[in-house]
Amino acid sequence: MIMVSILLIAFVGAGGTCLVGRGNPRFRGLVASLVAFLPLIILAFLYGRVISIDYASVPFLDIGLSLRLTPLSWFFGIAIAALGGLAIVFSISYMQGKERLNYYYSMMLLVNASMLGIVLSGDFLSFYIFWEIMSWSTYLLISYRGKQALGAGLKYIIMSIIGSSAMLLAIGSLYISYGTLEIPSLATALQGASAWYALFVLLMFTIAFGIKNAILPLHTWLPDAHSEAVSPFSAILSGILVRMGLYGLFLLMFSVLGLNTLNRLSYGAISFNLVLSWVGALTILFPIFIAVLQDDAKRLIAWSSIGHGGYMILGIGVATTLGIAGGLFHALNYAICVALLFLAVGAVEYRTGTRDLNKLGGLMKRMPITFTGALIGSMGLIGIPLTNGFISKWLIYKTLILSRYPFLAFAALIGTWGTVLYGYKLVHNVFLGQLPEQYKEIEEVPWTMRVPMIVLSGFVVLFGVLPGIPLKAISVIQTHLGMTRLETSLFGMPKAIGELNTLNIFFALLVAGLIAYAAFSASRRSRRVSQYDNYAAGARVPVGGYQHSVRFYDQADRIIRPYLRDRIDDFYGWIATQSTAFFEQLRKIYTGNINTYATWIVLFVAVLIFMGLLGWRI
Amino acid sequence: MVAPLLIAIPFLAAFAVPLFSLISKRISYYIPALALFANLVISLVLIPRVMSETIVVSIGGFPPPFCINLVVGPVGLLLAIIISLIGLLVSIYGVNYIKEGPKDKYHMLLLALLAGATGMVLTGDIFNLFVFFEILSLASYALTAYNRDRAGTEAAIKYLIQGSIGSAFILIGIAFLYGMFGTLSMADIASKVGGADPGFLFVSLALLITGFGIEAAIFPLNAWLPDAHSSAPSSVSAILSGIAIETGAYAVARILYTVFDSDGIMLLIAVVGLITLLIGEMSAFRQREDIKRLLAYSSIGQMGLILFAFGIATRAGVFAALFQLLNHMLAKSLLFLAVGYMIYRVGSKKLSAFSGLGKRMPVSSFVATIAVFSLVGLPPFAGFMSKFSVVRAALALKDPMFLWFVVLMLIATVIEAGYFFRIIQNLFFKSGNSLEEVKEAPLSCLVPISVLAALILIIGVYPQLVSGILDAAAQGLVERTAYIQYVLGVP
Amino acid sequence: MEALYSNMYYVGAGALILVGLYIILVKSNLIKVIIGIHLLDTGVNVLLVAVGYIKGGTAPIFTRTSLAPTQFVDPIPQALVLTAIVIGVGVLALALSIVVKLYENYGTLDVRKIKGLKW
Repeated sequence: MIMVSILLIAFVGAGGTCLVGRGNPRFRGLVASLVAFLPLIILAFLYGRVISIDYASVPFLDIGLSLRLTPLSWFFGIAIAALGGLAIVFSISYMQGKERLNYYYSMMLLVNASMLGIVLSGDFLSFYIFWEIMSWSTYLLISYRGKQALGAGLKYIIMSIIGSSAMLLAIGSLYISYGTLEIPSLATALQGASAWYALFVLLMFTIAFGIKNAILPLHTWLPDAHSEAVSPFSAILSGILVRMGLYGLFLLMFSVLGLNTLNRLSYGAISFNLVLSWVGALTILFPIFIAVLQDDAKRLIAWSSIGHGGYMILGIGVATTLGIAGGLFHALNYAICVALLFLAVGAVEYRTGTRDLNKLGGLMKRMPITFTGALIGSMGLIGIPLTNGFISKWLIYKTLILSRYPFLAFAALIGTWGTVLYGYKLVHNVFLGQLPEQYKEIEEVPWTMRVPMIVLSGFVVLFGVLPGIPLKAISVIQTHLGMTRLETSLFGMPKAIGELNTLNIFFALLVAGLIAYAAFSASRRSRRVSQYDNYAAGARVPVGGYQHSVRFYDQADRIIRPYLRDRIDDFYGWIATQSTAFFEQLRKIYTGNINTYATWIVLFVAVLIFMGLLGWRI
Repeated sequence: MVAPLLIAIPFLAAFAVPLFSLISKRISYYIPALALFANLVISLVLIPRVMSETIVVSIGGFPPPFCINLVVGPVGLLLAIIISLIGLLVSIYGVNYIKEGPKDKYHMLLLALLAGATGMVLTGDIFNLFVFFEILSLASYALTAYNRDRAGTEAAIKYLIQGSIGSAFILIGIAFLYGMFGTLSMADIASKVGGADPGFLFVSLALLITGFGIEAAIFPLNAWLPDAHSSAPSSVSAILSGIAIETGAYAVARILYTVFDSDGIMLLIAVVGLITLLIGEMSAFRQREDIKRLLAYSSIGQMGLILFAFGIATRAGVFAALFQLLNHMLAKSLLFLAVGYMIYRVGSKKLSAFSGLGKRMPVSSFVATIAVFSLVGLPPFAGFMSKFSVVRAALALKDPMFLWFVVLMLIATVIEAGYFFRIIQNLFFKSGNSLEEVKEAPLSCLVPISVLAALILIIGVYPQLVSGILDAAAQGLVERTAYIQYVLGVP
Repeated sequence: MEALYSNMYYVGAGALILVGLYIILVKSNLIKVIIGIHLLDTGVNVLLVAVGYIKGGTAPIFTRTSLAPTQFVDPIPQALVLTAIVIGVGVLALALSIVVKLYENYGTLDVRKIKGLKW
């Protein structure tokens, strides 16, 4: 009952917000935030419980629809509800004065509700239904801004429908083969499946989930969609919505198929998991360096979002206890960091009206909280110790080294270098350097926008210092799925796995910081200057026009750009052009001449009768 | 003996319209709505009886097979219900929408068309089927040309020529059947089919399939459809797309399943359906000029899907086909009705002229979106359930070939999504046109389309509402021995 | 030759149908096409009557008491043909009236020029 009520609150709330907004727009934001946070509160009380409930049945298919709460769905559900709620709170000021707000809020809530539905689904039909609701509501939200967003939205929905068609094929086939779509019963039934069949199901689902999670050859919708969406929605989109693909893949691989079946899917040394890991590694490599080249802040984060998806795929692809923990933890960490970054960029865009990295700069003093958020967010992405990203990346590296995949480990490492480059570029180009003249009077964003950023930054640090909290939840997931569970303590990992203790790091950094501070204060060489008193190698600084940030990484850019064109996108574009040209030719069969039409009819009969003469019988 | 009323009421009303218009024009325009409401009530009342037992009505006092008989089974009743429902909604819509021309003739022809359609789905006699089919066709030719403009007359004459070839073929097929069996009752023919010369049987089947296939928009017999559906007044397009072609599909299915026990040709039907689906969707994709033509091509695609499902030739397949048929009727008539007023308000059929219309005509655009989602097959709308049923039925054959067919079908869905989502973006997220003058459609349009949208949503969320009668209908089509027994009364 | 003669009605019907189809497929004048349709209809009607024909039979009306039922030609096809003729005439009339309007709109009856609707 409680699970139905979660979904009821979420779905009815989405419609209700629209009605409230019509009645009195002032309460709209409040109601929307309430609707978004209520599921979070309910879910929080359900920690560690496993509940299963049938909520409807489809008699003509002879199956029931059920909801199921597991530690895995709890983990993702909490992230969805929390991020969704924060994004809604952020929207209250961010969206103020924009048009069609009723529509915006109810769609945001609908996306959240459908994601909650996905993770709470106990059977694949419900899963598919919520999945599709998520797809079209996302499409409606991406298109919200019009203009370039239209192309992005169309690309998104087409790829999404291709994915869900593949999923529908697999679901239909599962239903025909086993007569059930309940996840637990399928898990039992699929143990006896042939390797080919398991591979077919897995591949079909991987297409669907891969498109959502933007793994390498299926990623092309993401940069456009993420950069064209409204910033609070980009946070949801990049933070948690694309990770629904990861959730689905995880569910299918470890909850439905199980490790035994996965291990059977191999041909010599090549196994499904190995291929998946390599796809993950490639997904890290290319997109992260494409991100370095971007000049649009949101596009930069979007590409980074693809790249970091690769880490998670790598983690669950290797499929050891450590790897799975790393993949899941990285999903959570990345969701927090990227949402933080999108919100920060959104805040900057809210005040300055642009997100072009070449036009911004020096906003650190004007928007200190946004700056801190962006800084902590990028530090989390890079994985600097005492941020959450450090722990999850450490887990993934450790996995790759322990499982003896040196090349994969190297790819992951290179990815981190790239992350350093674009993380620095983002923070520098927006917040450091010289403040452009026209932004002199800019103020910090209103508190409804600050609070989500502060909360998210807090979580980055909290999970960085106390990784035991989320890792405990992850080890509960592993126990539930019957795997070896990860041993953790509050501050990190025990010795058996390879010791990690954030407490030591914390004190080491504290001591190092104190020493550095003491050294600097003792020398007294530094002096405070105005933000406009920039060092320009002796030249006069022209007012307003002087910035460090135009053509950032110019040299590197020139060297790597030719190798990093998104040829996959080009290829899809080519397919689209070719098929439209084909359609254009094809529709010419409707010539407009009645003689031709009549000829077809007579030919059709003639062919049929001729086949009859040849001996075809009814 | 209420079943014949289903046909008699619209017929009598059709002739009453011009008579009443002598007294008061205004009143006569409401006759269709009244008549169809009566029809709807009667057919709904009949549901419990029909679900327990097929009603066979003999006309003229002779027992079957020596008379013309009506067979009110679940299929017939189901379609009759939808025909009267959509007919009712369209006639409410038409009262205001039809502003020019001989309005009483419009309402008369509309009723005649619906009477013909109802007759087609209820009759048990193959010649009677032909006659009702001709009534339907004649009314649709005339209604297509109702505006008497360039496009309307051209479409009508093309439709008429192709339709006439089709009806000639049907008649030849009937002549062959009569020559072989000496009877016209479908049940009687069905009971004797086993002993006949297979060659002649095949030829007559080919002729009948072609004839009804023209109305059912099978490729390559569907060239009239985009012309007629795009050039007729929108309320007529709604009827043509929502009722006429579906009754054609019903006739094809009835002939394939009940009259001939044609297993050998089913694969061909599936393949032809698939080709129709792909060609319809591909042509629609490139249609940027005329939104009604786009919808018409999409109808071709949907009919292809329905035909494909019929070609699966299992009870689940027929169930899926009928479900898809039902959803297409609801969604496509909704779309044509909504688009009708949009075109009227904007003054252009061009897709680009609709940019930003979502702000000016919010309700129409919103319900049109629901219909579009249903057609593409997105949950929680009705189209998803039927599309899933089609996939399930096709995969249940466990035939690798049908797996590939399903893949092609899903590719067609992707193409369909491509153009339909473009329309939605056009409606809601583009701006640029000066549409300040444009008002929302009147209540006589909003009520019908909202009812249809509500049905789409309700069926999507609660498919049990229709799955019972659909299942009985599928059984009624597939199990021919039961049909023969009911009609002929042979144990 | 004998077979041809004994199936004369069928041959005639078939010929009419084929001629009608030929006209529809080939001729580009709409009036001719409509004539073709009507020839096609007529051929089908002849075929229907021929199906019920009995050699040496008579109309199924009891004019003389000496007539045995086996001597009657089958009445049903004739009833059908009556209906079909009526329908045919209806279609013909409608077609011609549409053609009149079409001519007013286009100023031509050449189907190759009446191609406002295509693709």
